[in-house]
Amino acid sequence: MIGQWRYWRLKTKLLFLTLFTSALGISLVCISLIFVENQNYRKQLESELHVIGGILAEQSAAALIFDDKEQLSSIISSLRRIDNIRQVCIYNSQGSIMAALESEDVRTCPELEPAPETGFAKNAYRMMMPITLDQETVGQLFLTSHLEVLRKHIRTFVLITAFVGIGILLVLFILAIKLQKIVSGPIVTLSDTAERIARDHDYTVRAPVSGPDELGRLGNTFNEMIGTIEEQNRRILESRDSLEREVDARTSELSMANRELEAFSYSVSHDLRQPLRAIEGFGQALEEDCGEQLDDAGKDYLRRIRNASVRMANLIDGLLILSRVSRQSMEKEPVDLTALLQEIADELLEIGDTLPTEINIQPAMQVIGDSRMLRVAFQNLLENAWKYSAKGEKRKIDVSAVTRNGSIEIAVKDNGVGFDMRYIDKLFVAFNRLHTPSEFSGTGIGLATVYRVVRRHRGQISATSEVGKGAHFVVTLPVSGKQR
Amino acid sequence: MRDHLKFFFFLVINLCLILPVSGSIRSEHEVKAAFLYNFTRLVTWPNLGKTASPLEICVYGADPFGGLLDPIRGRQSQGRNLTLRYSDVTSDLSGCDVLYIDQSLTRGLQSLLDLANERNILTVSDLPDFARKGGMIGYVKQGNVIRFEINLKAADEAGLIINSRLLELAVEVMR
Repeated sequence: MIGQWRYWRLKTKLLFLTLFTSALGISLVCISLIFVENQNYRKQLESELHVIGGILAEQSAAALIFDDKEQLSSIISSLRRIDNIRQVCIYNSQGSIMAALESEDVRTCPELEPAPETGFAKNAYRMMMPITLDQETVGQLFLTSHLEVLRKHIRTFVLITAFVGIGILLVLFILAIKLQKIVSGPIVTLSDTAERIARDHDYTVRAPVSGPDELGRLGNTFNEMIGTIEEQNRRILESRDSLEREVDARTSELSMANRELEAFSYSVSHDLRQPLRAIEGFGQALEEDCGEQLDDAGKDYLRRIRNASVRMANLIDGLLILSRVSRQSMEKEPVDLTALLQEIADELLEIGDTLPTEINIQPAMQVIGDSRMLRVAFQNLLENAWKYSAKGEKRKIDVSAVTRNGSIEIAVKDNGVGFDMRYIDKLFVAFNRLHTPSEFSGTGIGLATVYRVVRRHRGQISATSEVGKGAHFVVTLPVSGKQR
Repeated sequence: MRDHLKFFFFLVINLCLILPVSGSIRSEHEVKAAFLYNFTRLVTWPNLGKTASPLEICVYGADPFGGLLDPIRGRQSQGRNLTLRYSDVTSDLSGCDVLYIDQSLTRGLQSLLDLANERNILTVSDLPDFARKGGMIGYVKQGNVIRFEINLKAADEAGLIINSRLLELAVEVMR
């Protein structure tokens, strides 16, 4: 029952507590009343029997000294009318029985030697009294009373107390039902109000609880808190609205600026190609048609002009690609990365190089993404690896992948010159080069493009290296094609 | 062992024989003597100013008790020491509180009773119809049992108060 206690309703708890306490109190009172009554009744019985015994002793003294058994019998036979007296024995001074009054169920009068037990026994009261005449003991009186009357009385008393107790408890029960509402009513109202507010998110509701006591204060505090919440909610909503408006405005401004920038860079790169082609074309024509008229210095200048124009064309191509991977819409599809990398590697090997080369590509690598963009990215990575490992005795490139925590990590390792980790910040930023053009040719756009592609695939790229010991790029791409 | 058993049986048999004899069958005079003592305990004398004075029992005429009354000397009744006197002259009765008149007296009973009446003396006798003749307590024999009659009127006239408990025990009370 106690285990269920916390699931009980507050009303029931209050009622139970009230009734339990009252029942306990009433029981204690009843028990003590019964106890006291029992004691009192015993005392009363004892004193009554002593009075009876005294009278009897006084009456029988004379008859006793005259050995008048008839008279003694007649004296004690008058006690027959007293119900609870069971046995009366009169002994003379020698201790022999002179007269006896016995009911059927009781054994004969006890011997005086040894003295019979007196006082309250299991279901009888025994009393021994000397019979005296002029302070001289002339005999003994032995009297036994059964306690049936006492038991009956106590039984009746217990019954009455039980009835009265139950009656009081019933009255208290009714009273408690009425009165517990005073306490539980406001709490229930408060709890209902809180539940309604939690359910409907309606913070305009107030609990109808008030008063100077704790419950009233609780109600007032609750209402104040709800008021505060309502006020704060209103403010939050207001500031959220204004924030949203601001964000919208900023976003549109930003996207417009971005679009303008991209259009500008595209058109700039595109429009720059026209004059460059003219320079290159006419440069070639000049070399072929008027080559003999130029001296060696003139030929050297012309060659430099043509080399510069080729570098610029590469730069513009790079910029165009970067612009494209930024602007192009993406298509998500499964891509066989192993096949893609193998193609790129084959192309690189076809270009030819005197250096012995070893390219290891892990088989069966699958990613999800835009195949054209991924090709651009991995082409850049592999070309870099190829390029920066050109100065050793042997070129070695490893591509491997592991799947971890819902994403695939593709590692590209080479045994090239590597880079200084101090400049890692600048690695993926466009137009930043960690090596001089005389060491390695390049535009400084490749890794920026890779970075852009990876970011558009919602992936990440990181690089570690040590100068002279090769570079280690790790591209992390989400395995599922879902846009986060 | 056997000796012990024998002794035990002997003892038991003896006890069985002796106890009833000493318990119930007392001689007539023994009973009368005991009664006489008992009477003194249930009668109140009027001239009881000085409690310390002894209560004197006088036996008039021949002594029927044959010394059975002697143990009464030195006993107490209502706080008074008992004394015993044997006498056969009327003039010698001064100071008596109880007068026992023997059966042998035939003449002069009335004058004796008058004297006793004057002097607040309780008169007891086993003369037949003693109470009816003006005595106060007279023994009667009913079968084997000794009982007594009381003449309450005579006692009243002598100023003696007889305890009602004693009256209850009397075979007859004359008022």
